[in-house]
Amino acid sequence: MCVLCGQMFSEIHWSEQQLDPEQVSQGAGETLRRQSRHARTRLIGKVLAHYGLEVSDDWSATNYVVGNRKGDRQVVASLAELWPAATRMAGRLLDPLDDALLQHLRDGAAEGAE
Amino acid sequence: MTPAGRRPVSVLSGFLGSGKTTLLRRYLAESAQSEAGIAVIINEYGAVGVDHHLVRMVKEQLILLQAGCVCCNRREDLANTLRALLDQEQSGEIAPIRQVVIETSGLADPLPILFTISSDPVLRHHFAASSVVVMLSAADATAQIDRQPEVSQQIIAADRVVVTKPDLATREQIARCRMKVRQLNPTAGIVVSSFGEAFDVLAPGNAPQGARSLDKPLRVGVALGHPDVQSAALTFSAPLDWPAFGVWLGMLLQARGPNVLRIKGLLNIGDAGPVVMNAAQHVVHPPEHLQAWPATERRPYLVFITRATDPDRIAASLQTFQNAGSRTDLRVTRCV
Repeated sequence: MCVLCGQMFSEIHWSEQQLDPEQVSQGAGETLRRQSRHARTRLIGKVLAHYGLEVSDDWSATNYVVGNRKGDRQVVASLAELWPAATRMAGRLLDPLDDALLQHLRDGAAEGAE
Repeated sequence: MTPAGRRPVSVLSGFLGSGKTTLLRRYLAESAQSEAGIAVIINEYGAVGVDHHLVRMVKEQLILLQAGCVCCNRREDLANTLRALLDQEQSGEIAPIRQVVIETSGLADPLPILFTISSDPVLRHHFAASSVVVMLSAADATAQIDRQPEVSQQIIAADRVVVTKPDLATREQIARCRMKVRQLNPTAGIVVSSFGEAFDVLAPGNAPQGARSLDKPLRVGVALGHPDVQSAALTFSAPLDWPAFGVWLGMLLQARGPNVLRIKGLLNIGDAGPVVMNAAQHVVHPPEHLQAWPATERRPYLVFITRATDPDRIAASLQTFQNAGSRTDLRVTRCV
């Protein structure tokens, strides 16, 4: 548990395994954790936008908040919970092999490069 | 113990009569001299004479999780047995456990075992899957692979395949067996063994997670005889954006987990050493961040074994996600 913010780090998702939970909870390594976290959230936001959903970090950047345009919100603790929650909210399969999604991401990347 | 202090678990699988018991007995006999501290879990039909070791019999009992796929079923019998072993070790009833070997029945799927160890809130802090060793009788292998889906499943899950009883098979049968295994799982190390002589494949230090994928991972092709199952090795023009990779793979496994049979590889994420990836369907082993690249392998790669999913689409998707992250110029190509 982080002594400053009281957040529990009971489980670290495999994609964040290179972080040392002890270092993160003691403050050192927190900057790195937040940088990767924000990069992850930015990309998830681009993906979910295709499905009419949005995502943000909570204030401590330990949980994700998934929402839709109707104002539904769900807080999830990790990527492992995020995709099932977003799938439920979108009402359809979120497939990274979906050509329309990939085109959406390519268009976004092209806009960003301009 | 693994670096994280978890006890390595080796899974020994293989069809009936493939030589599992011979190999296990030989391994235990050789380890007996070094006060091995090996706990053995065998199914109720197994029979191993292992005087110096702690043996637990289990009745293989699969708990079907609600809405779970096959790989995410839980082996309740194993969870209970492993917890009981921990309790006994901590109360001093038994010697410290250095390794657990689980011998499955011939028809068992190794994936629920890996899932059980990696998902149990207690067990995952005390045990870590070290390797899946699959035995195949050389003379019978081709027919079994073609006719028994359980055998194909075991090979796909394997880190090491031991081809046994070469004295009862022709050279052609052995060569065909190797080819069949290679086609189903290009990342598995293959060893031919008589009378359990390859027993050291069960030693945890001998088969670190992912490392045997360095053998010859790049000889990959379409699996003949299994038109649905395909494998491909991908490589990358630049270090991967690791957060973007995590987002992509998590989404892929959520959407296509049952059809992504196996993922193994060494990834360059811009650090001094690579990351070893190893996943079987929904079960992702914690990626291992190595301090340095192995001397024999400097090229990053990622091998996919998929069912009814075109590897080229996977490559295109991974590249698009990387480009949408911070690696705008990264190219993903198939190894040749």
